[in-house]
Amino acid sequence: MILPYFENLVSGIETKLRDLEGTDEPRARKRFALEIARLGVRLFGGREPVAWCGVLAPFDLLSAMGVTSCFAEFVGAMLASTGGVEPMLAATEGTGYSTDGCSYHRAVTGATQQGLMPRPDFLVATSAPCTGGLAMMENLARHFDKEMFVIHIPTRDEPDVVGYLAGQLRELVRFVEVRTGRPLDRRRLAEAMERTNRTRELLLEVYELARSRPSPARRRDLFNFGLVVSLLLGTETAVDVARTYRDEFARRVAAGVGGVPGERVRLMWLQNRIQFRSPVEQLLEQAGVAVVVDEFNTVTWDSIDPDDPFEGIARRTLSIPLCRPAQRRIDLLQRLARDYQVDGVINPCHWGCRQGTGMRGLVEEGMRQVGVPVLNLEVDCIDPRNFAPGQLVTRIEAFVELIEDRRGARDGG
Amino acid sequence: MADDTHYLGVDIGSLSCDAVLVDAWGEVVAWAVVPTGARNLEAIASARQQVLERAGLDANAPVSVVATGYGRSRVEDRLAAVTEITCHARGIQALLPGTTLLVDIGGQDSKAILLDSKGRVVEFAMNDKCAAGTGRFLEAMARAMQVELQQLGELDRLARSGSLTLSSMCTVFAESEVVSLVADGAEVPQIVGALHRAIAARTQALVRRVCPDTAARAVAMSGGVARNLGVVRAIGSLLGCEIAVPPEPDTVGALGAALIARERAGA
Repeated sequence: MILPYFENLVSGIETKLRDLEGTDEPRARKRFALEIARLGVRLFGGREPVAWCGVLAPFDLLSAMGVTSCFAEFVGAMLASTGGVEPMLAATEGTGYSTDGCSYHRAVTGATQQGLMPRPDFLVATSAPCTGGLAMMENLARHFDKEMFVIHIPTRDEPDVVGYLAGQLRELVRFVEVRTGRPLDRRRLAEAMERTNRTRELLLEVYELARSRPSPARRRDLFNFGLVVSLLLGTETAVDVARTYRDEFARRVAAGVGGVPGERVRLMWLQNRIQFRSPVEQLLEQAGVAVVVDEFNTVTWDSIDPDDPFEGIARRTLSIPLCRPAQRRIDLLQRLARDYQVDGVINPCHWGCRQGTGMRGLVEEGMRQVGVPVLNLEVDCIDPRNFAPGQLVTRIEAFVELIEDRRGARDGG
Repeated sequence: MADDTHYLGVDIGSLSCDAVLVDAWGEVVAWAVVPTGARNLEAIASARQQVLERAGLDANAPVSVVATGYGRSRVEDRLAAVTEITCHARGIQALLPGTTLLVDIGGQDSKAILLDSKGRVVEFAMNDKCAAGTGRFLEAMARAMQVELQQLGELDRLARSGSLTLSSMCTVFAESEVVSLVADGAEVPQIVGALHRAIAARTQALVRRVCPDTAARAVAMSGGVARNLGVVRAIGSLLGCEIAVPPEPDTVGALGAALIARERAGA
C-alpha cells in the first residue's frame, strides 16, 4: 500500500518537474518532495538495508555506510498528510494505548500492527528529544525482533559530553558493520561529510534569504523542511536540493517578490506543523500572514571535520536545542525572532508532546522578554479527529488582529 | 455623512445570534437576541429584521455590517468579519470604559481578554479541548436538575456555604453526577453553588494565563453566562475582585462589531 504510493508520487513529481523545465515557475519544493518520495521508495522497497531511527540519529553517517535510514515519526506525518492515519490510531486504541499519548508515535505503532511498516535490518534510537519516541522504537524492535542501538544524548553539559557521545557513535559504526557485513569506508565517510558541510553552507544561505522582507518563502516551501532535510544529509541530493532553494529564493529576493502576496504579518512556527489537511495555511496566506521561520529551519551546528567526523557529529547532535535545557531553546527562539523580525509566534503545543507542552510557559515568557506575543494552540498535529477548525480559525484570526492592533498603537493609531 | 447612517453588529454564537444597531454617533438604537438554532442563516435574518424594526427602519435600509462570532463568515453583505475577541474588547470599552480584564463566557467558548488602557487586546486565552463551564454546560446541568437556566443565579443565592463539590467537569460525567446528587437528596441550591464554583475554578485558570494578578484590574464580564450572577459572584470570589457586568451582557460582542463597522466605514 505505501510503496505504490511513494512510487506514484515519484513519477507524478518527475512529470511536474519536467513540465516546469524552461519556465520561471518555482520548483524547489517539488525537488525536495521528489527526494523525500524517493527516500520513501527505498525505505519501503525492500532492496536496501534499512534502519528505523530516532529523530536525532546521524543520517549522513548511516548513509555513508550504505544504510537507508529515517526517523520513524516520518511515517506518522506521511499517514496524516495522505488522510490514512485514522485506522492506524484506532488500531493502537484497540490495543490499549491511551489517546493522550503522542499521535506521531501511536500512528507508527498502529502502522506496525497493521503490517504497513517495512521490516528494518536494525534500529537506531536516540534518548532525546523524547522518551515516548524511545518507547515507540522499543516497540518496533520487539515487533520485528531486531536489535536496537540506543544513542544516549546527555541533556546537560557534563564534562567531556562531546567525547562521551562521539564514543557512542564509534560504537554505532561497529554495530552497523556487524549487521550489514560491510566495514566503514573512511574515504566514503569523508566524502559524505564534505557533502554535509556543503549542504550546511547552502542551508545557511537559504535561511538568510528567508529573512528578507518580504520573505521569498511561499506558504509550503519550508513546511516540514529543516527536520526532514536532515534525512538527506551526506548525499549529493541534499546539496542539490539546498542549492535549488538557494537559487530560487535569491531570484525572488532580487526581484522583490514575496512568497506570500501582500505580506503584512510575519510569524514564527514552533515545533511541529499540522500534518493533515487543514484550513490554517490558506487562512494565513489570505490574511497576508507569512510564516517566515519554523523553529527547526535553522542550522545550529558548525562544519564537521571530514577526516575525523565523530566529535563534529556529536557536537551537531548536542547543538539541537530541543533536547537540551529549556534556556538553550529559548535563546535560539529569541535569536530567530530578532533575525526574522517576527511579529508573533504560534506554538501548536502538539497533544501528547511532553517536551512541547511542558516548556510552554517558559517559551512564552522568553518571547515576552523580546516583545513578541505567543499564540498557544492545543492541537493534535496528526490526529484529525481532534480538530475543531472553527475554534482554531478564531484563535489565529484574533491573534492576527491583536498583532495589527499593536502595530497600530505603535504607529500612533 | 448623513445623520441617518446606521451600523449593524451581528454576533452569531452557538446558542444565540445577537444584533446591535448604532447610529452615526455610536449610540445604541436597538438590539435583539434570537436563538441560533440549527439554521444560522435564518437566525441572522431574524436578528437583523428585529433590530431594524425596533429602530423603525425599513428592512432594506442601508446599513454597514460587521459580523462576529463563530458564524461570522456566513453573514452576507458584510463590511468585515472580526473575531469575537476584538469585538468584545471594543464593546466593553464603550460600555465600561477603563476595563482592563474581560471574562467572556458564551455558549461554547470561555475567554479571558487582557486590554490596555485604550481597550485594545493585549493578550487573550480561550478554553481548549472542551466546552465545560460554558453556556451549553450550564444548559445541560439545568436540564439535569429540572430547573430553568434563568433560575440558576437565584438558586445560587439560596446556597449555604458548604463543602459539596463536583468531581468532573466533563459535561456528560457532570450531568450524571448532578443526577446522582439530586437522587441522593442533595439540595438543588447546594448543587448549583457547587457547579458555579467549579466553573469559577476553571475560569480562574484561564484568567491566570493572561493575568497572574487581578487585584489592580478593572474586571468585567460579558456573554450570556454573565446573566447568571451566581457564576459572576463565584468568579469574583476566586479572583479576589469585583466584577462589573454591563446591561445586556450577551450583546457586548455585537455592540463591538457595530462600533467597528462605524469606525471602518469612516464615520
